[in-house]
Amino acid sequence: MKTGLYNYIRAAQKMNRRQMLKGTAAVGAAAMLPKGAAMADGHGNIRAEILKIPGVGAGSPTDSDWQKVGEMCLGATKENVAEGEFEGVELTFMGLNNQNLHNFLFRGFLKPWEAYTGAKINWIDLAQADYNARLQQSIATGTVDFDIIEMGAPFEGDVLGKGLASEMPDWVKEQIDMDDYVDYLKAPVGTWDGKTYRVSIDGDCHSFAYRKDYFGPDGIGGAEVPTTWQEINQVSKDLVGKEDPLTGLPAHGYLDPLKGWGGFGFYFLENRAAAYAKHPNSPAWLFDPETMTPMVNNPAWVQAIQDVMDLIEAGAYPADQINADPGTTAFQQFLAGTGSMLMWWGDVGSSARTSDTSVVGDVVGFGINPASDRVYNAQAGAWEDTRNEAPNMAYIGWGVYVMATVEGDEKKKKAAWSAAAHLGGKDLSLWASAYPSGFQPYRNSHFQFEEWEEAGYDRAFIEDYLGSNADSYNHPNAAIEPRIPGIFQYYSVAEDELAKGYAGQYGSAQETADAIAAAWEEITNQIGRDSQIAIYRASLGL
Amino acid sequence: MSAEGDLLHTVTADDISENRKRLGKLMVWGAALLCAGLALWQMAFETGRVSSGFDNWRPVLYAYMLWATVLCAAQVMIRGEAGKRSLFVLPAALFVISLVIFPLLFALYISFTDWNLASADGPKPNGWDNMVQMWNDQFYWNALKNMVYYVLAVSVEYVIAFGLALLLNAQIRARKFFRVVFLLPLMLSPVAVSWMIGKSMLEVRFGPISRVVRELGFEPSFFGTPEIARFMIMAMDAWTFIPFMMIMLLAGLQALPREVIEASKVDGATGWQSFREVIFPLMLPVSVTAIVIRIIFKLKLADVIINVTSGGPGGATDSVTSFIFREYRDRSNVGYGTLLAMVYLVLIIIFVTLLLKLVSRWMERPA
Repeated sequence: MKTGLYNYIRAAQKMNRRQMLKGTAAVGAAAMLPKGAAMADGHGNIRAEILKIPGVGAGSPTDSDWQKVGEMCLGATKENVAEGEFEGVELTFMGLNNQNLHNFLFRGFLKPWEAYTGAKINWIDLAQADYNARLQQSIATGTVDFDIIEMGAPFEGDVLGKGLASEMPDWVKEQIDMDDYVDYLKAPVGTWDGKTYRVSIDGDCHSFAYRKDYFGPDGIGGAEVPTTWQEINQVSKDLVGKEDPLTGLPAHGYLDPLKGWGGFGFYFLENRAAAYAKHPNSPAWLFDPETMTPMVNNPAWVQAIQDVMDLIEAGAYPADQINADPGTTAFQQFLAGTGSMLMWWGDVGSSARTSDTSVVGDVVGFGINPASDRVYNAQAGAWEDTRNEAPNMAYIGWGVYVMATVEGDEKKKKAAWSAAAHLGGKDLSLWASAYPSGFQPYRNSHFQFEEWEEAGYDRAFIEDYLGSNADSYNHPNAAIEPRIPGIFQYYSVAEDELAKGYAGQYGSAQETADAIAAAWEEITNQIGRDSQIAIYRASLGL
Repeated sequence: MSAEGDLLHTVTADDISENRKRLGKLMVWGAALLCAGLALWQMAFETGRVSSGFDNWRPVLYAYMLWATVLCAAQVMIRGEAGKRSLFVLPAALFVISLVIFPLLFALYISFTDWNLASADGPKPNGWDNMVQMWNDQFYWNALKNMVYYVLAVSVEYVIAFGLALLLNAQIRARKFFRVVFLLPLMLSPVAVSWMIGKSMLEVRFGPISRVVRELGFEPSFFGTPEIARFMIMAMDAWTFIPFMMIMLLAGLQALPREVIEASKVDGATGWQSFREVIFPLMLPVSVTAIVIRIIFKLKLADVIINVTSGGPGGATDSVTSFIFREYRDRSNVGYGTLLAMVYLVLIIIFVTLLLKLVSRWMERPA
């Protein structure tokens, strides 16, 4: 038995050396038990223990916390990998450095893994806005210089479709317990031609976050929390000139990001548009699946753009909103106490309580993407006066993929998949969804409210927060993003045209939408219309 | 030893046999043929005309390096002493050709192709389509228009820089300290300036400058309207680079002959008259150099814009470089993006050539 392990158990159980030696016999006997039975208890303990690091309300976790969590979650790795098995293996991992999360966490999580397996990981850190370009250039120029990549499902068309990734071995599927994924993350997401490639580490949807102190009997925003985009716009206009109850600064309603974010900013117009444009009779809401003709200039999308223009006209946004990207609206505005309503990925929920910069932890509530009083039926070409909800599964979540560069070297391949499986482990992912990490819950086991409560979360808060995620994931009319090549090119050019529209350079919302549609047509022609149609239809399950 | 030719610089007698010369030429042509042959073969392989070839272009690169080495060696074989002298320049010239001329030609080819990185087909030559697209691209023309504003701002920067240079040239207290302090912004990376000032000090809610503005009774908005946003970008860029012009002008001021200035004082010239009639005309060559270099810097303006406004609101702060960056990086539109860059390069060359021509004509005028 190792000295370190002995010290750990002694510290945990207050054992002396004599008791310890006695106990080793029992440990030996326990090792003879079937694996599942042995895991059950220890597994539960680990989940409870890691959620205490550093503890909700104890400030933002640091590198030492990430390393501790990584160390405690190594159990699954140890079952498949012997100590020092990957000695001499070097892997390169490409991921993000957003808000000092993502790769920063991975480094901490994987440090104990490196120490145990003997492998060494080199890191390529990218800013969110640089990610798409770096990936596309690597693919197009045949210079894939990384073995593992943190990647969103929208890029699967670019990477998996070109045979650049390594197929997931069966032992990894078992180690990460893929059956535990929420339904919308199961195949076809993460697969291509029936083969599995993705270790999910995140589940993405945009959910609605609002300030509870704005709403209620005496709330300046009204008695009820708005549930439709029509109500949101009305409340946002009505709040002009009022005072924020928390900060004493001017009150604001919904926070639309009006500046681009390397393509990611388009998701935020999609939130509004989904309720208007995603009719339950079709999964298609961005392009016509027969012709790839953009739907972005149909009346539903135009209404979404018009909504934003109306709020600009009414002066409902904070000053300089035209220069606010999504990161600004979430982290510099909403969490810091500016504005009362926001659409964002689920990590705003965990950050609201656990981030040092958040002041709204006690007053934040959650819901699904607001509905609309009416929905546009693109097939019939007419509005229908029925309430429509359509949560936006923006980005579908981050995953870890192993590149085909490891093929031909079994040791390296196993090492890469072991690292990916460690990051996508069942227990580690619970911690990542409970603390600031950039990731949100994505497994059915993440929705066990009692685990969060034990970690120190307020039960009502967590039911509210997790419930909004679960309701979005399981919504029958969810707006799912197409996994087509170049999807962020479409989004990026749309951001540029929207910026012009918001700055008043186009005559109307319709003109803005027409400009986006024209630009999208050019991109489709350039990439290849027929291939785009085929991949788009496949991604929609048509 | 020959009694004719460049006797001064010749240190050895060159008695080169015809055979040696022939061998030298043979080596050069052989290596050139090998390089060209490999390149053509690889091109045929890549375009599917032959079935076998290399995995990549590296062997062609090795053949080019072999040719370059042989070319250098052959200079000595063929021309003897004169060839040795050319070796001082030839490797550097070949290096420049490899890293400048060849990429430029390659870029020229790319700019007439339809190449979107997401397309599985790779680059496809598309004639003048990219040029037509550029002609109709309002974003590009808007960015060019913004560049005119940005370049015009250099004149204001020049006035401020000249003022500061005069101050630092005067007998003021702690002159050395101020010289160092005034140079500090130039030592900062424009990216750091965009984050420290554009994204932090000017941040509407927390930024100290915003707070001061709010204390004064105004609602701060530094990037909300096109005019103010453009002005703020100009101001941040100016803050970084005015010290550059200032230090050049200061050096010029310090090199002025003191007798002339003192003579003007003896003649009873006031400070202003002395500046207008003596200092400014004498400083013209330095001023022109500083302005031209600053304009060249300005034409490359991108980092502050990309970080702070991403070209917004509505393209009001876009520079040509920041627009090309977005077209190329966010939209992976390599063919069109390269064409825009090439056109911009041509425009810059024409503009700077005309500028230098005008300046030289102006400078030749009798004062």
